[in-house]
Amino acid sequence: MSQDYNFDTLSLHAGHTPDDRHGSRAVPIHQTTSYLFKDTRHAAALYNMEVGGHLYSRISNPTVAVLEQRLAALEDAAACTATASGMAALSSALLTLCSAGDHIVSSAQLYGANVNLLKYTLPRFGIETSFVSATDPDAIRAAIRPNTKLVFGEVVGNPGLDIMDIEAVGQIAHDAGIPLMIDATFNTPWLLKPLTRGADIVIHSLTKWIGGHGVAIGGAVVDGGRFDWGAPGKFPTISEPHYSMDGINFYEEFGPAAFTAKLRAEAMYNFGPCLSPTNAFHIIQGLETLPLRMQRHMDNTNALLAFLSDHEDVAWVRHPNLPDHPGHDIARRLMPRGAGSIIAFGVKGGREAGRAFIEAVQLSSHLANVGDAKTLVIHPASTTHSHIDAEAMKAGGLSDDMIRLSVGLEDIDDIKADFEIGFKAARRLTKQG
Amino acid sequence: MKLELGHHIVHIATGGRAPNADAPALLFLHGSGQSHLTWVLQTRYFAYDGYNIIAPDFPGHGLSGGAPLTTIEQMADWAARLLQALGIDSAAVVGHSQGCLVGLEMASRHAGCVDRLCLIAGAAAIPVNDYLVTSSADRLDSAITMMTGWGHGQTAHLHDNTQPGFSHLGFGRALMAGNPAEALHADLLACNAYDRGAEAAASVTQPCHLILAGADKMTPVKQGRKLAGLIPHAQLTEIAGAGHMLPSEHPEAVNAPLARFLAS
Repeated sequence: MSQDYNFDTLSLHAGHTPDDRHGSRAVPIHQTTSYLFKDTRHAAALYNMEVGGHLYSRISNPTVAVLEQRLAALEDAAACTATASGMAALSSALLTLCSAGDHIVSSAQLYGANVNLLKYTLPRFGIETSFVSATDPDAIRAAIRPNTKLVFGEVVGNPGLDIMDIEAVGQIAHDAGIPLMIDATFNTPWLLKPLTRGADIVIHSLTKWIGGHGVAIGGAVVDGGRFDWGAPGKFPTISEPHYSMDGINFYEEFGPAAFTAKLRAEAMYNFGPCLSPTNAFHIIQGLETLPLRMQRHMDNTNALLAFLSDHEDVAWVRHPNLPDHPGHDIARRLMPRGAGSIIAFGVKGGREAGRAFIEAVQLSSHLANVGDAKTLVIHPASTTHSHIDAEAMKAGGLSDDMIRLSVGLEDIDDIKADFEIGFKAARRLTKQG
Repeated sequence: MKLELGHHIVHIATGGRAPNADAPALLFLHGSGQSHLTWVLQTRYFAYDGYNIIAPDFPGHGLSGGAPLTTIEQMADWAARLLQALGIDSAAVVGHSQGCLVGLEMASRHAGCVDRLCLIAGAAAIPVNDYLVTSSADRLDSAITMMTGWGHGQTAHLHDNTQPGFSHLGFGRALMAGNPAEALHADLLACNAYDRGAEAAASVTQPCHLILAGADKMTPVKQGRKLAGLIPHAQLTEIAGAGHMLPSEHPEAVNAPLARFLAS
């Protein structure tokens, strides 16, 4: 093999070579906590990162490693670390880079738990965040301070669907000598590989489209390997001697994978946000069909956008594929296959009409997830984003009447028919009112 | 470890251990467009095994300053000067690819500096495809993609890795892209111009062991075997299925024969 395998092939094969002894074609579940050392020298070598391998499943596991290496391949990355959830991935990545006294510049339009972590939890540990509009690169530039350690955002903001121009923001971050960290859950590498367009670290909730089946929670931190961590004094826990392994200098020892080596040696050791091998196995099953599913997600999304845009009971529709979306041109440039399968829309009649719609639909599931193979609907203002304050809701592009729709893989005619049931209920309520 | 040599800073990886002048010295010489990071899983392993590790970035590569050297002979002289500057009379020398040419030349020109020689994925001559040479000057990203593609075997192309979560191809591309832009082109020209390999090989008097990659597309295994035939009393290990970047792709298969050779 001289050329790299293509995306669809890597989705099925990357990270796994069947072992000689058993020949298991599927990735085996290594449901074990620990691993036999060959001898004391081998044990020491594993602890000192002299050799590859596994010593304890909080740190690494063979099944989890297949998932990590497959994601690294699909994202054109140097390395990847899987975690117990998307939030575990984000908190591990932030705490790998930041210490008390450090500062983060973040998009204001984020998933609710991301907002809470940055706005309320991290300040208790001396890490402050400035929130700025994802669509205003000048504001991002102006918010960067000498103690800023990274810029953070989502390519497709949740749930307002604002688009961050990661090429422009990446350049701003790099001019300031700091990395751009992107939560790419909504786009998946099939729609966009952020590491090839200006981002340095990618966060995934694997629970969503990458798993796709809704049976396993997981997350990942993907390291592009392109950021230079060596600026004197800027990232001392990476580029200066660490407390572990005789004062290891991750930057000098692991170069492009310094961030990942430090995350595994510190966050995985000390916080323990490891992904279970069984959940890794489930997520791998989903990942194998990611290209096929994403194509269908986008086909159904485009059909539903046309359906909703023309529907007399719909007050408004928002999606970056629509020409009237403010981020349409940027989305087309970054994601020519489409900007994901989340649609925001309002039902005529406001909040109560929206509630009636959600409670009436029968096929679509009312639950707090996105990216499932099944169509999902939710009212963010009363659920996923109910714990953030009014100011953050406004900054996040939320409105009281918004319904967030995660388009599934069902027959499109059945989804439309189900929505008609919801609209009928909303109309009945409006007439009664 | 940093050292000033010829008015430029040299970065030397020591395998994560403090330099130890009392331990046997082991000098690692990286290949074209590479850096000390080629040797991550050798430097750390042999440092903890009790060796005094010296894995420099050649000038204009990795974390070392200066401009890239332009001939293999210059590189051999520079490596000998580096040992001298470190107060090391002689070392076991381990080269990879272009580093094998440098090692051969060191053993020939500075025989007293070289206790023994291990050549990994080497040949007596490493002529470089014209398109790759041109690309390394005009289209560096393309040249890096070609080299990482050709340079890795099937294990790496399947992104299987003994280091959990690491990608051979992604890491390899990032390593090369992290070098100063002129490094790869200078190295490829130096390899192309070097024609003393057979002569240097015949003059080797030190113990020598070659570790060859069975699926090497950069320095084909038959060229490595020919080199082994030129070096008096050379020993040979072949690793089936391995690509050119075998130090990272098959680290344990490299470290085992290297450890035996160093201990013999």
